[in-house]
Amino acid sequence: MLSVLNRGTAAPGALKPWLLLLPLVLFLCAFFLVPLGQVALMSVTEPEFGLGNYAHLTSDGLYLQVFLNTFLTALGVALCCLLLGYPLAYLMAQSSPRVAALLMLLVTMSFWTSFLVRTYAWMVLLGNNGPVTAFLAFLGWDPPPHLLFTRLSSTLAMVHILIPYMVMSLYSVMKRIDPALLRAAESLGARPWSVFRQVYLPLSAPGMVNGATLVFMICLGFYVTPVLLGSPQEQMVAGLIGTQIEEFLDFGQASAMAMVLLASTLIVLTVYHRRFGLDRLWG
Amino acid sequence: MSEDVEKTAAGGGADGGARLVSRRSVMTLAAGAVGVLAMPAIIRSARAAEVLYVNTWGGSWEKAASKHLFEPFTKETGVEIRTVSPVSFAKLAAQVRSGVYEFDVTTLGGGDIVRANAAKIIEPVAGGPLASALWKDAVFENGVSSHAFSTLIAYRKDRLTNGGPQNWADFWNRKDFPGARSLQRYGARVLPLALMADGAPKEKLYPLDTDRAFRTLDRIKPDLRVWWTQGQQSQQLLRDGEVDMIGIWHGRALELIDQGHPIGITWNQAQIDRAYWVVSKNTPRREIAWKFIQSAVQPERLAGFCREALYGPLNPKAFDFIPKEEANRMPTGPENYPLAVEQNVEDFGDNLQKVTQRFEQWIAT
Repeated sequence: MLSVLNRGTAAPGALKPWLLLLPLVLFLCAFFLVPLGQVALMSVTEPEFGLGNYAHLTSDGLYLQVFLNTFLTALGVALCCLLLGYPLAYLMAQSSPRVAALLMLLVTMSFWTSFLVRTYAWMVLLGNNGPVTAFLAFLGWDPPPHLLFTRLSSTLAMVHILIPYMVMSLYSVMKRIDPALLRAAESLGARPWSVFRQVYLPLSAPGMVNGATLVFMICLGFYVTPVLLGSPQEQMVAGLIGTQIEEFLDFGQASAMAMVLLASTLIVLTVYHRRFGLDRLWG
Repeated sequence: MSEDVEKTAAGGGADGGARLVSRRSVMTLAAGAVGVLAMPAIIRSARAAEVLYVNTWGGSWEKAASKHLFEPFTKETGVEIRTVSPVSFAKLAAQVRSGVYEFDVTTLGGGDIVRANAAKIIEPVAGGPLASALWKDAVFENGVSSHAFSTLIAYRKDRLTNGGPQNWADFWNRKDFPGARSLQRYGARVLPLALMADGAPKEKLYPLDTDRAFRTLDRIKPDLRVWWTQGQQSQQLLRDGEVDMIGIWHGRALELIDQGHPIGITWNQAQIDRAYWVVSKNTPRREIAWKFIQSAVQPERLAGFCREALYGPLNPKAFDFIPKEEANRMPTGPENYPLAVEQNVEDFGDNLQKVTQRFEQWIAT
């Protein structure tokens, strides 16, 4: 006890890192934690005190369906990102630093374009008069399929937006895989496919889990993209929360839904933390 | 929070400024030249202090309102108008709840004004200063009627070469008018259209037979590829040919036609939506707010606003200031109005919230 105190007085500099955190902590408290607390409070007090809003969530088929749809969509998007991102990240990890940097630039380029612009770009590309439809018609698909306002179009756009997270997660892990291990496997007579499957793939698994977790969690809260590009039948929770507030002025119900969404995200995070440790999430 | 502080300070400044002017005026008489020289500066500061916050739809709406409603009012009274957009019913409700006023005046549509009045989030007209100055039936549910738009049928002339749908029954007719359709994601507007499509006469739409409306909606569900939520979006859908016919606001359709797109419209069975000026409940600036509203529905100003923003005025005298060919592009114009259908938001039938909920559920399944 005494020694702890001594250390505290002897080295006042030890306090400083915490002081550096203070502005951010205050900012988060004022603009994130306090409003979040208000939302939590509203979910059990509007219109009356109790768990009525949560009971309603479980009893009304619409909510369950929308939640289910949200999770399935997020899962699908995470899988697509993994399938598309893995080869790319692999290529980057194998390339020279210059080529890798160029590829990384291309991947992250979409980060620098506004969300809405990207969404509208998909509308132009996939529209009835867009190049993709024209190409399918040229190939003899008559009448060409409707691509816009379907699950396909919204999934495509969300994968496009989220794939940088996946590629960066994978790349940071793949970059650290020791090439000596692969050479060792080869020298022991393993074929290239076996080297990949039995050595490389398991070693890159943390990146897959990281990327999939990140993409899944971010995707859960998507709002604009599914509303503008998706089919009306496939709503996601964030869109429904918006409707609850704008159309029904039902702040209580909307808060309850937001809380459930938050809880689901926290559960995913907790599972991840137990299994892998949170500090590894960003690679 | 900080915004609230700023506005309260501005309000306090307004009172202080006014007192200052009157005291100074007396002194001016006595002191002569010095006071005369000081006057302009004092009046300027008093004017700058008085502010009214108006909630607008932004874009061309705000441009027209600034030119024809806001600027003349500022010139006349010295009250500066600051705008906040977009129009949000949720915000109107939230600010009464929190006491933090982002805007004092806003416009509400028919369905919303009934809701707002029932929820007591708007100021009562009675007791306000303007009751005597208005025309007959101008006040409805504590709002002052201003202008109207309509939801009408617009179609791609290049796709529907047989003349296009001329009423809602045609719009529902998938055999003679095949193609993708879109309607606004707004149950209170869509259900009456469905009833008309099913043959209900326009004077017998209300109270709504919701079951019949949903049954009718079922018939074209596969063709309703997208439900639009914003005016801009509805325009884009029709312009880019994503849909072949659409229930769209008349102003948006006229803009496309004026730009030269192959779009046809019909004024037949156009569904009128009225917009009402309302004052946010308990705002400290309610007196100026009512004064502003009274000036905004004056025939000449309203006519100017409607001509530029493509609305139809609800003050009948406004047509004295509108050329005939322009009146024919307005839903309340003498040729179009007899074809139109008014909504009956008071006698809606089912509880509006329940209908909207059922509508959302119907879309999602």
